[in-house]
Order: sequence, then C-alpha cells, then structure tokens
Amino acid sequence: MQRRIYGYRCRVCGTLHYPFRMRCKGCGNLEFFEFDPEPLPAAGTLVTFTHVHNLPAEYEVARLGLGVVELEDGTRVVGQLDIDHPTMGMPVTGGVEVVRREAYRDYWGFVFHAA
Amino acid sequence: MREVYVAGVGITTFGRLEYPLAEIAAYPAMMAMKDAGIADVEQVYVANMGGGRLSHQTGLASAVVDTLSLTPAGAETIENGPASGASAIKQGFLAVASGMYDVVLVTGAERMREVNNLDATDFIATLTHPSAEYIYGVTLPAHAAMFTRLYMERFGVTERHLAMVAVKNQNQALANEFAHLQQTITLEGILDSPEAMTNNPYVAEPLRFFDCCPVSDGGACLLLVSGDVMDRLERPRVRLAGVGQGTDSHVVAERPDPTELAAVRIAAERSMQMAECEPEDVDVAELHDAFTILEIAQSEEAGFFARGEGHLALEKGETALGGSLPINVSGGLKGRGHPVGATGIAQAHEIVTQLRHEAGRRQVEGAAIGFTCNFGGFGNNVVCLTFRREG
Repeated sequence: MQRRIYGYRCRVCGTLHYPFRMRCKGCGNLEFFEFDPEPLPAAGTLVTFTHVHNLPAEYEVARLGLGVVELEDGTRVVGQLDIDHPTMGMPVTGGVEVVRREAYRDYWGFVFHAA
Repeated sequence: MREVYVAGVGITTFGRLEYPLAEIAAYPAMMAMKDAGIADVEQVYVANMGGGRLSHQTGLASAVVDTLSLTPAGAETIENGPASGASAIKQGFLAVASGMYDVVLVTGAERMREVNNLDATDFIATLTHPSAEYIYGVTLPAHAAMFTRLYMERFGVTERHLAMVAVKNQNQALANEFAHLQQTITLEGILDSPEAMTNNPYVAEPLRFFDCCPVSDGGACLLLVSGDVMDRLERPRVRLAGVGQGTDSHVVAERPDPTELAAVRIAAERSMQMAECEPEDVDVAELHDAFTILEIAQSEEAGFFARGEGHLALEKGETALGGSLPINVSGGLKGRGHPVGATGIAQAHEIVTQLRHEAGRRQVEGAAIGFTCNFGGFGNNVVCLTFRREG
C-alpha cells in the first residue's frame, strides 16, 4: 500500500490547505466539510533544516534531522530528513515512513531524501 | 475604559523551588500585596501552563485563592502557553478597565524542574501542531534553529551574534538577585576557545546550549488597581497603558515569509498605539529571548530597529545597559529563567521596577516608558504590554 499525505482543497475557492482546517482560510465560507482531499506532491526543495540533539524520550537516536520543504505545488511542510549533509535549496524527494513510535502506535509522516 | 495602574509587584527566586505550585504562585502575591499595602482583592488570575501535566495540580486558581485566604474572591487560571503571563495581565487589565473590579491580583507560576529534561522538552513540544509538527519530533529548539538558519542566510546573523546575546543577558542576570543563572560567561568560553564545543554543544544546529534559556521554577505577580485606588497609595504611579495581542498560523512552515514574526509586529503595534507612543519613545524593553535569535528578531518586529538590523544594534551595544534601548537588563529568559506560566509577569515585574526607578545596579536611568513582549508557541500567540510612569 502506498501511503500519501493529503492536503485539503476548498470546493468553493480552490485554496489548498495543509494541515486540515475546519474553515477555509481563503474564502472563509461556513459550510462544513467543503474540502476535497488531494495527495501532496513528493518532490520539493529544502528551505531550512536542523539536527536536533535533545529529543523527547521515545527517540532512540543521537540526533534527528528535521527540515522545512517547499513542495512542487508551493505547499510548505515539515518532515524528517534522511540526508547526511543537507544544504538550503537542495532538491529533495519525500516518502511516507514511520516518524515516531509509541508503545502501541506508529505515526507516519514525511521523510525526505536527497533527490 | 478606565485607566489601570500597577500598585504592587512580587517575584520568587527563579531556579529550583522545593515548595508546591500553589505556593509558588502565592508567595509573589503576598509580596505584591505588601508592596502596595492592599490586603483585600476582588479577583485573582493565575497564569500557568503545565500544572496538570508537570505538578499534578489542576484548578490552580482555586488552590491559590484559598492559599492566600482570599475566598470568596473570583479566581481563574489562564493558560496561553508561554504567553500565559501576559495573557493573565490582559485579563486583569480588562477586569479593572471595564469597571467590574477595582483590585485584581495577577500571579503566575510554573514548576518545571520536577520532571526530567526530556519530559520538560516534550511538554513544551506539545505546543506544536499534533499531526504536522509534533509527530516528527519537532521541539521548540528545533523551530528556533530552523528559523535561525534562515535569518543567518538572509541577514548575515552569525553564531557570534547569538553568543553576544547570551553573554549580554546571562551576565546582566548577575545584577538580578532573583535570576536563575548566576554564572559569568565569556565569548571565549562559549565560542572561541578549543573547549567551546564541550562547554557549549549543539542543541539544535545552529543553536547551542547557551543559546537556549534554562528550565526554571518560579513565580511573579502584579497587583492591578483602578485610578481611584491608586490615588490613595504612596507607591510611584506606573500605568499599564497598552495591551496588544496578535496570533499567527499554528504550523510555522506555512507562514508566507518564514523569517517574519507577524504576531510580534501586530501585538507590539497595537500595544504601543494604545499607549500612544512610538517604538523610539520606549526606554527599556523585556523581550522573550527563550532562544538568543528571538531577542534579535523581536527587536526588529517590535519596531526598535529596521528589519535585518537587530544584530547590528547588538554589535554597537545599543541593546546593552547604557545603550540607546537596553533590552533584557533583568537577564531576560536566558538569564532570569523561563518558568513558562510566570515569564510574562516576570517581564512586567522588571519593567515596573525600572519605571519606579527601584532596579538598583541594573537601573536604566530616567526610564519612563517600558515594553514587554511575551511570545507563545513559536510566535503563534504573542502578547505585548506597554507601561508608562506618571509624575
């Protein structure tokens, strides 16, 4: 099964939201659930990044790469980085992988690799 | 609206406090009441972010009002993340300005050193967006680090500028007997010497240990009163003249310009507009330097320096005591410490002390207008206050 991360496009004005909003930030209409989910693109460029050394307890790694990526459609998202030496502006491509494990639950999200 | 004055202030020592959360809130409240010479209070607001999670204490305002034997006064707990303190002051302001109450106690407290470092980091990280940030391991230092990298690239801020903020604020804390950190640091020790990487390792690159505020216990209080009550008191007249707030997108990456802190700009503008002053009229400011970069960025967004020039003002010493606009002479969050629920009130405590000309070794000479910026989330929710000395 191929996992995707979805954005939410307003049926009234076409504004794409990620993450989900209850109300469209473009037109502000008050109808419920007037959004069509649509898969976000996987490719983009790295806007900024960090390696975090002081992590919440469940991360069993010494440091974790995190970055902001501007996807091809202009949506900006945060994801984990599987890149040893990232640089600002580099092209990256995202997969949906396990990003956090808790006792009875895995969380899936963007992990970006060098394109 | 009626005018609102600060009749009394109180603060605990910041650091590790070995007494219950309700008492950390009540101790500075006692000091504020003694300071003002007022024993009767109509309403209590208690600023706190993590009582339920960190201290196993919910309904904190009820505990505090009873600890102070102020029942049956009104009492509410105000939670607005790390901006809880200034938000509680805003509620106190509204309560007095509206005419509903004449005497309102606004106290804030947090007890964060009860839990270990990893738990404290995770607690603060719950401020982030659950599905778009938190699950990835995004922490507040991570947000600040990614913001710093953009700021460095765009404006030429360097690790040296960040270290200069750390040295300025942490050494300034030595003049504040309530401050958490009481240790001199030097640029050589945290940046230039061969030992610097050991003394000052990366927390979230490019931010290092000394770029981050400590995790603290602490409490602070302001007693707000109407003009009629203030007229009967002997204390110097300091008016809470401006209250401004702004919010911004929960997900930081979504912002149109990721180097902007729009909520700071809006909150600062609204606060100074209400106080009928301009940024250049401000004599002393307490900014929310949870990370060193934030002092630089906020000093620009608040209008004190042009965009991209905050670090240049820092280089010239304009933000040091004796400069054109001393920032964080209390030590700031960096030196005084950051008990999240209490910080906004501790900032106001410093400004009121400065405007009363009671700040001793760290007094900004002739200070008449003071400003605070209390920054919640990563700029999601910001409350700015402007105070004026009268007479």
